[in-house]
Amino acid sequence: MAERAPVSTRSGPGVVLVSVYAVLALAATGRSVLQILEYFSRAPVAYLLSALAAVIYIVATFALARGSRTSWRVARAAILIELVGVLVVGLLSYLVPSAFPDKTVWSHFGSGYGYVPLVLPVLGLWWLRRTRASARGDVPVRPASPAG
Amino acid sequence: MLYPVTVTVFAAAAVLALLAGFYAWRDRLIDDRLLLVAAILELALVVQAVAALVNVRDVAGDGAEKATFAAYALTLPLIPPAVAFLAIKEKTRWSMGVIVAGALAIAIMTGRLQQIWNLGG
Repeated sequence: MAERAPVSTRSGPGVVLVSVYAVLALAATGRSVLQILEYFSRAPVAYLLSALAAVIYIVATFALARGSRTSWRVARAAILIELVGVLVVGLLSYLVPSAFPDKTVWSHFGSGYGYVPLVLPVLGLWWLRRTRASARGDVPVRPASPAG
Repeated sequence: MLYPVTVTVFAAAAVLALLAGFYAWRDRLIDDRLLLVAAILELALVVQAVAALVNVRDVAGDGAEKATFAAYALTLPLIPPAVAFLAIKEKTRWSMGVIVAGALAIAIMTGRLQQIWNLGG
């Protein structure tokens, strides 16, 4: 039956995930571009991390939106880096506050962004698990059923 | 900043989120009424972006605040078209989740703009 066919990462709940990633990518990119252009010397580490986070959000957005077999793996890699990043930077920003004079997306576990950066990779990995079949077989990927 | 514009942004974002939530509950897809609310929101966000750029020099605080202020003001008008596009393409009730997420993001980012603006008192 159609119900057993693999679900693409961009359908159903995935499209909500894509939109949240897109918004975060936009916000993080705009902010970090300005930070690097205008005030880079102030907090190079923090601003480079902001830029890295922005790039990872962009990659995750497009990989999830693409919904193909390769993009599933790209999305998983990006989201894993994202999860490690938010955990490591979150922890470091509490332990070594002097290294982060300026807030980044990931500092304090994303508290400046309502902890969305912390929750998002967990949701992302859950969604990739649910859509794992789309990364495996040769079966064509189908959109989610209308009921979601 | 521009008080009426800010109120319009928050009100339109709230109406959009509530309407999309209602549509999701009734299993309805995006229609003209929802697009009209999104268009009003978009208009308010464009006005807000222009006002923010004109006034960015008056933002209190250091460069980081100015950068965030300008970046958010410019990013916000991109959100309604992006979520509307995604919602039109997705033909399930999850499309309304996209609209709700976008409206919430707009409210949060506009709140941040206000926060930075009010640093000046």
